[in-house]
Amino acid sequence: MKNQDKKIAVTVKNLHISYRGLTKTSIRATWSKKRKKVEIFEALKGISFEIEEGRILGIIGKNGSGKSTMLRAIAGIFSPDKGSINLHGNTISLLSIGVGFNNKLTGYENIYLSGMLLGFSEEEIKEKEQEIINFADIGDFIFKPVKTYSSGMYSKLAFAITAILETDIMLIDEVLSVGDVKFKEKSFNKMKELISDDKRTVIIVSHSLGTISDLCDQVLWLNDGEVIEIGSPKEIIPKYKEFMNL
Amino acid sequence: MKNIKLFFKNIKKYNKYAIRSAKAELKSEVADSYLNWLWWIIEPICFMLIYTFVFGVIFKNKTEYFASFIFIGLTAWEFFNRMITGSVQLILHNRGLVTKVYIPKYILLLSKSYTYLFKMAISYFIAFALMLFQGVSFSVHAFYLIPIVIVMYILTFGISMILMHYGVLLNDLANLTRIGLRMVFYLSGIFYNIRERLHGILQYVLLRANPIAFHMDEMRKVLLESKLPSFEGLAFWLIIGLILCFIGINIIHKNENSYAKVI
Repeated sequence: MKNQDKKIAVTVKNLHISYRGLTKTSIRATWSKKRKKVEIFEALKGISFEIEEGRILGIIGKNGSGKSTMLRAIAGIFSPDKGSINLHGNTISLLSIGVGFNNKLTGYENIYLSGMLLGFSEEEIKEKEQEIINFADIGDFIFKPVKTYSSGMYSKLAFAITAILETDIMLIDEVLSVGDVKFKEKSFNKMKELISDDKRTVIIVSHSLGTISDLCDQVLWLNDGEVIEIGSPKEIIPKYKEFMNL
Repeated sequence: MKNIKLFFKNIKKYNKYAIRSAKAELKSEVADSYLNWLWWIIEPICFMLIYTFVFGVIFKNKTEYFASFIFIGLTAWEFFNRMITGSVQLILHNRGLVTKVYIPKYILLLSKSYTYLFKMAISYFIAFALMLFQGVSFSVHAFYLIPIVIVMYILTFGISMILMHYGVLLNDLANLTRIGLRMVFYLSGIFYNIRERLHGILQYVLLRANPIAFHMDEMRKVLLESKLPSFEGLAFWLIIGLILCFIGINIIHKNENSYAKVI
């Protein structure tokens, strides 16, 4: 368990997100009198919580409970319809596999392309370049076009980029199951190493209760866009299992 | 003004990414082809030859330095056409990226514009070579091509930002844009000289209301006729371009984080 200090890394206040902000339409629909009523899906309904710096928060909930929406909102991909998210000046990244990859370019070129898209400078990537290549462990394929990679190799490189290029806050959405068994273990250990840094705050979304209980020191249980409970894994996971009849 | 400040801050932050992404696109475009980057030269030359044959030989167009005349027009047109066409579905085509990482959406457009600017630069080098071959005498007025291109870039970027936003919401916009562009293509004087062929109100309207016709005409004036450009016209389109950029930046800042919810 990490040392706990009182510095807050993320504050989420009364967060509402609906999939209705913009409505896709056609000219016919726009002018037609028989306009379809816009369906509003409220993915998050007034979520509030705080995470202290260095904490590892796991988010659990059934499919459609709003876990991924929450992660994307914290990452700045979705804007809140109501409420606010404050990162207190921390840098943040959502660990996503292969974001911004160009399949016709080599793995080496994609390290830079993907890294810069995640907001890192060329110099920062240069510093970490060898570490990424070593961690991905795909040999000479690093200098071959990504389209020639197997799905395992692709995932290894993508995971290595996002895991090695670190930010203050890391958001992880079900990515620990990439590559072969050996790489899964390696990535799991890397994850543990990353989150063992007392300064780094991590938010993990996973359906694997084992992963959540192994890695997290706090669990937030979401259901239909609302917080059911927040607490320690020992406290929340049994209740969740009972709720889900697991 | 807050959005404008943020725009420049983001441009500074993501400019290197936009350049790298543009390079990556250029590289991947020719990665599998046998002739590789030579296509960037071959393609515009082929189009120029086709149009010169059709309009110069078959339709007996007597415009002086006709091949250069067409090439300059085509170069400007290709930039405008690619930017406008590409912008409408830019967000949709980058769905994987837009839904997984935050990036100011105009950076995607900026990156595209670098790709097309590079292609435009190549075309201008070919145009200069063609002009030399045809015996066109260069004057210092040729340097006015730079401000003309800058004004056209700002204007096109402004229009593209607005189209990029509405392209997310309106399914039919891609079709409408295609039809609109086809009309602009024929009304821009790519293969005929508006000042020679059209007269009166039609010439006046086309050269003033159609920004591409105006920019093409100005480019030909400074390159082929050694004349000064219309500074009034350039100032007018610069103001229009800046207004459109202002509107586009504000629309995108207001809505960009909602795009991921609808695509």
